[in-house]
Parts: sequence; C-alpha cells; structure tokens
Amino acid sequence: MRFNSFYKQNKKRTEMIKTKQKNQEDFSLELFTELNENLHNIKKLLDEPSDLMIREFTIGNTDHRCAIVYIEGLTDKLLIDTSVIKNIQMETEDSDKKLADKANDVVDQFYNKVLSIGKVEKVLSLDQVSYAILSGNTALYIDGTDQVLIIGSKGWENRSIEEPISEALIRGPRDGFIENLQTNTVMIRRRIRDANLRFKSYQVGRRSKKDLVVAYIDGIINPDIVKEVNRRLKTIDLDDAPETGFIEEWIEDNFLSPFPQFSHTERPDKAVAALMQGKVVILLDGTPFILMGPLTFGDTLQSPEDYYERWIVGSLLRMLRYLGAFIAVFLPALYIALVSFHPGMIPSKLAFSIAASREGVPFPAFIEAFLMEITMELLREAGIRLPKPIGQTIGIVGGLVIGEAAVAAGFVSPIMVIVVAITAVSSFSMPSYSTALAFRMIRFAFMGAAALFGLYGIILAYIAVNIHLVNLRSLGFPYTTPFAPSFLRDWRDLVIRSPITTLTKRPKYMQTDDEERMGNKKGGQ
Amino acid sequence: MKSFEYGDEEIGEIEIFFIVASFMIAVGVLTLPRLLAESTQFSDGWVSLVIAGIISISFIWVTAKLASRFPNQTFFTYASLICSKPVAAVFTIGIAIYFVALTAYETRVLAVITKQYLFDQTPLEVIALLFLLVVVYAVSGTRVGVIRLNILFLPIILVIAVLLMLLNIQYFEVKNLTPAFTTSWAGYWKGTTESFFSISGFAGLLFYMKFVNRPKKAPKYAMFGVCVPLGLYLLLYVMAIGVFNTETTATLVYPTVELAKEAEIPGGFLERFESLFLTIWIMAIFNTTSLAYDVSLMAFCSVFGKVKKTTFIFVLTPIIYLVAMFPEDVGEVELMAKFLNYPILIISIIIPVTLLLLAKLRGIKGNG
Repeated sequence: MRFNSFYKQNKKRTEMIKTKQKNQEDFSLELFTELNENLHNIKKLLDEPSDLMIREFTIGNTDHRCAIVYIEGLTDKLLIDTSVIKNIQMETEDSDKKLADKANDVVDQFYNKVLSIGKVEKVLSLDQVSYAILSGNTALYIDGTDQVLIIGSKGWENRSIEEPISEALIRGPRDGFIENLQTNTVMIRRRIRDANLRFKSYQVGRRSKKDLVVAYIDGIINPDIVKEVNRRLKTIDLDDAPETGFIEEWIEDNFLSPFPQFSHTERPDKAVAALMQGKVVILLDGTPFILMGPLTFGDTLQSPEDYYERWIVGSLLRMLRYLGAFIAVFLPALYIALVSFHPGMIPSKLAFSIAASREGVPFPAFIEAFLMEITMELLREAGIRLPKPIGQTIGIVGGLVIGEAAVAAGFVSPIMVIVVAITAVSSFSMPSYSTALAFRMIRFAFMGAAALFGLYGIILAYIAVNIHLVNLRSLGFPYTTPFAPSFLRDWRDLVIRSPITTLTKRPKYMQTDDEERMGNKKGGQ
Repeated sequence: MKSFEYGDEEIGEIEIFFIVASFMIAVGVLTLPRLLAESTQFSDGWVSLVIAGIISISFIWVTAKLASRFPNQTFFTYASLICSKPVAAVFTIGIAIYFVALTAYETRVLAVITKQYLFDQTPLEVIALLFLLVVVYAVSGTRVGVIRLNILFLPIILVIAVLLMLLNIQYFEVKNLTPAFTTSWAGYWKGTTESFFSISGFAGLLFYMKFVNRPKKAPKYAMFGVCVPLGLYLLLYVMAIGVFNTETTATLVYPTVELAKEAEIPGGFLERFESLFLTIWIMAIFNTTSLAYDVSLMAFCSVFGKVKKTTFIFVLTPIIYLVAMFPEDVGEVELMAKFLNYPILIISIIIPVTLLLLAKLRGIKGNG
C-alpha cells in the first residue's frame, strides 16, 4: 500500500512537472525578426532571473531599436558600456555615416565597423544565445533580424593567483592554478612558447556544460595517448563535473585500485614538466587541480624540487621518500608482526624494554596499533576540516595530549606511540596526496595481514600488492614501468635524480615522438 | 585498449634473462650446499657445480634455439609441425603435468620451511593454502604481469643473498676449503647430477619464447640468465663450506638457512637474520611457483585451445593443493623431489635436443 501511495505521489509530481513545462511552452526556441518577441523568449527561457540584464536602446540618432542581454556579474560591465553601448549610440552621429537599410546588413555593419571588441560572432539559434549568455557573454539583438551577435565579454571575480597550499615548496615558482580555466591555460602558455603546444577543448556536463581543455605538445607526445584520452573523454556523460576528480574517476583504467592512475597538481611548473615528458594534461574550468597522465609508480614519489635543488640533494631526498613510503606502509605491520609473532627477532634488550612498556597494556599489539592508527587518521581528518588556526591546535592537543594521556593511562605502550608518530610523519613526506592516501589505506591491510600471519602475512600481502601493481595500467601504460618493464636509461631519473646534463633524453617508457631533450653541448664550467 | 609497444603479448630479451634466472633460484639454493658436501670433499663441489652449470647452459641454448626458430608460435604448434600432432600433444601435456607437480612441490616445501623457521604454530595446510591463493592471484592476471613480478623481485632476492654472504664473511675460514681436488671421479659425478637438477634448464622457455619480440637475441640472454643462479650457488656453496666445513654442511638440512642463522646484522637492530632471509626468500619461491603454474596453464591452453585460462585455474588449483598436501612428512617430500628430477632429463634435455635435430634434419622453420 505504501509503495502504491508513493507511486501515486510520484505520478502527481511528474504530472506537475509536465504542466510546468507546458506553461513554459508559451515561448518558442527559435529566433524571430521581432525584437520584442526575442526578448520575451529569452526572458521566459531563463524564467526572468533577477540577474538577467536587458538594456534596450536605439542605434545612433535613428529610431532603429536594439538590445543587449547579459547576466550581471558574469560580464565585464566596463567593456560593455564603453565598447558596445557607447559605440552603437554614437553610430551615425556624423552625417556622412548612414545606417544600412536592411537589418541583416546592420548586423554586418556592426560586426565590421561598430563593435570595437575582439571576440564577436554571429549565431542563429536561441540555444546558442542562452549558452553564450550563461557563460558570461553578451547577446546583441537588433530589431528586424533573426541574427544575434554574441560579444565576448566574460569577466567575473576571480581568486588571485596564490601559492598552492597543498603543494608547498621551499624553492620553485610560487604561483598556482586558480579556478579560472583561461588563467590556467595562460599560465602554461607563458611557460612554453612552442607553436606545437596544443589545447584541445571539450565540454563536459550535460547541464553544467563546463569547459575542459586537454593540453599536450605535439611532436613530443605519443599520438596514441592523445587518441586514447580523446576516446575516453568522449564517453563522459555526467550532468556536472565539479572537480577534475570526476573526470579522473571516469577515465581511469581501474577504478577498483587503491592507487591513483592520474596525478593531480595545482602547480603550473609541474604541469609543464609533465608536458615536456610527453604526458597529457587535463584542465577543467572551476578547479585549480589539473590532471596529468599517464602516471607511473616512480612519478608518485617525485617532487619538482628534486630538479630545482642540486642533483645530490635531489637524489638523497628522493631516496628518503622511498624510505618514507616503506615506513608509511610497513612500520605498524612490522611492529605487530615482531611483537606478536617473532619477538625473537627483536634485539633482546629492546625486546625487554618493549615487554616492560607493554606491561599492563590490556590489548594485543594489533588492537593497540589499530586504535592508535585510527586515532591518528581521525586527528588528521579533523585537522583538515577545522579552520586553520584551530586545526593546528587540534594537531598539538590531539598528538601530544592524547598520546601522552593514553600512555599514562596504560591504554597503549609508549613504543606504539612512537611507531604511530613515525608512520604519520613518513606518510606526510609523500609529495602526492593521493598516493599518500593509497599508502594509508594499504597500511591497514598490511596490519591485518601481520596480525593474522606475522611476517609471512606481510610478505604475502606485499606480493599481492605487487601483483596488483604489475597488472595496473595508467592510460594503457604499465604502472610499474620503468622498473618493470625495465628501461635502464630511465633509472637515471627514478630513485636517484642524476645531473641535468646527463638527462639528455626524455623518458623512454613514455615512447615519445621526440626523444632528445637537449643539444649536444655539454653543460658546466 | 591497445597499449603501444607494451602489448601484453610481447616481452624483450631482458625479460627472458630475468625469468630464466629467477625460475632457478628457489628452494634448491637452500639445500644445494648439503647435496654437494655429501658427495664431494672439501670445496671440490665447485667443480661439479661448474660442470653442471655448463651442461645446463648448453641445454638452455638448445632450448632457446629451438624455440627461437619458430617465433610467435606456441610449443604445441611447432612441435606438431616437427613431429605430428599426437606426439606434440603428449609432449605438451607431459610438460604441463610436470609443471603442475612442480608447483605443488614448491608450495609444499615453502610451507615446510615457513613452518619450521617462521611460524611454528600454524598448520601446514593453512600456510600452503595462503601461498597458493597468492600464486593463483598472480597467474590469473596477465601473463606479462607474472614476468614483471620476476623482474621486480629478483633484485631484492639477490640483494638479500649478497647480504647473507657479506654478513658471514667474518666466520669464513679459508682452511676449510683446502686441500683441493681430493674427490674421486664418482664423487664429482654424483655432485654434478645432484646439482644439475637445481640448475637445470628451464623448459618454460619453450613456451615463453612465443612472446619474445626479438627471438634472435634470446638464446644469448637465456644463457646469461643461467649464469646468475650459477654464480649465486657457487658463492653460497663456498661460503657454507668455509663457514661450516664439509662434514657439518653435509649434516645440515638447509645449510643456507643455517648460514643466515649465523649472520648478525651490524648494529644489532634486528636479530635472527634467518627469519628476514626466509621472508624475502618466499618471494624467490613465489617467483618459481608462479612461473611453473603459468607455464602449465600455457601448455594446457595451447593444447585445448577452446578452454579458458580461468577454467584451468579452477580445475588445477585444488589438484595442486591436494598433491602438495599428499606427502606425509619431510622424508616423503624429499622423495617427491627425487621423482620430480627424472622428468627434468626428458623435458629439458631429450625433448629440446630431439626436436631441434629433427627440425634441422627436416628443414622445418618458422615463418620468422
């Protein structure tokens, strides 16, 4: 019965929607020659929103009427006032200028002579008009013609270019992408003055109709990548894509994998480096995060700073990060395995002090580790949600006070607190946030394996993760390359970063069209 | 999608090198010094080992040469070209059954060693089952995936083996090695046969060669591949003799593990190096097992073309598990190893040599 009534209600609602649509049908989706009719249609189509601006006026000193339509706030008002309205009103001011007789010719006259604006185009359907208005352009209607001029007048408030918060560097450019697509493409253009830099536009979102740009350098990138990205992007059928995360999830190779298959960044220098390696970059309007692909495991532990600092420092930092990744994944699991299954492996003095510190702790090592890790994850999550100043306080309160109190209360052992802290610090050292997330997830799997089967469990879990990784692909590229399939040449820029002068070629695994990265001249001296 | 040159059906000669090397490095390493010490005196076992190595290298060359004559063809296809379809089918299925048995054997030995050194309270059956499940996960992925795992793991395995030897250098006594050349001919012969089985040709090459994109180079790299385990065995053997002397080595069941027991990590931040060593060595055994299973799947699939790989996995895995659990005790496991040795002679010597000779005599060549 209840289902029935629900169904009835639902039916009622759909009928209501239908009648609403019917009411709206007192307007037409076509363009007419009559100005009033056109204005009525556009008003009805958008349901007379408060921010819709319609300004009617006459051309020069004639009585010929025209109107401009735009959305307030989305357009550059100054531009409209000085380059559109003023110009049109001044037209035919001088006696030798004359307005064309036919309205269609007026459109051409405006296009050629009157509008002092770079981007103007003629459209012939209401659909295009409404899309143009909604994306911040201005529509110019002229009485007597069904042609509408669309004036490029996008201009809205933007966040200014700031240092990217999620990817801070000591040394390196300080600018970060912002939410405006055009600004972002400009930032890339400013860095690469190559005629082969390509920006391919797409539109995603059935309703939001957002702009998406695929950037690559023709002549470097393997054309198959472009084809493949194009194929995958074409399949996107969402009503909105608020963030590149939506795009990523739609086009990635394996959505079941914990590992990211695209890297994201808000640093233009990183994007440019990716382009130079023969990768593809995907930018979306409305988000500062761009996608780069294909991604391999080695990339996830690299930071642009590796290249900005001298090579020895860069190499050492990279190795440090590999160590960090190892600790972030394995340390709690190893603690559990050693304490509960292989206490003999711990040096006897340390074993005694661990045993002494675990005296009175009511839980087995796994529960202890699990509780502390969960607490740590909660703290981290809370720290992100809270406003910045409080976030730090919570970090200190949580980290120090809870840790201290938990130990004092005999809830966990001090060694466990050390283990958890080192693990957390290590996972913060990951340059890529999404990789750090992946490591955080599989850490718990390893802890479970260690709790059940000790070292044997850990090694089996490790093998299983590797099996997953060798079968994983990013845009069709093996995730584990250049480790396996091995490209020894690429190892120069993998765990270590050898001097710039020796990195004469682009990564081999990317199979680029142009391998040479520099001329034959030797650097130095 | 089509993925550029990384097709799942293509591997390079480097991969051949890696799979040959890592197929041989498995449980044999753990017992080999004992087998050699039992039959030869002082450090004379190296002679046997080198002879066995040379024989093995020459037969791997024959195997690779045969397979590279027929690029992009399965063993079954070219074997039927050379010696009629039914005979080829018998050969292929025989090889498949051998590798199934090998998978079972490796699983069992792994379980035994793990139980003995790492994990004494868990039942053998559970240990073996877990391991087998991971192997099944590996082989049910892509074939290239299995090979890439070998590439990823082999360096780690070699590093831990080298570390094992470095940590034992302080106990090494040169006087244990001399006098040289005191063994009888019979002793050398026995040592050679014993060690040959640990380093014998990898018949899986007959199957993997299908995927090699430059088959001309492959025989050379396959021979290099044998050199890695040969070098490793030589070093480990000499190390074991130098540390324990011949008599003691002959009495140790797993002399290599005992070597790890002796080792002490400098700084002493971890004790019981043998646990760490065995944990890493599980990867070596995993490599061999997954390759063996993969080869048998490939063999079955080539004969019964219509049946899917997953079907074979579903059928074979329980069989492998049962066979692995069949031996009652360690003695029977040793017996199983002995039984598994005889087919090696047929698979990696008789089959490749006859087929290559027949192919040469009858002038049969692949289309490459």
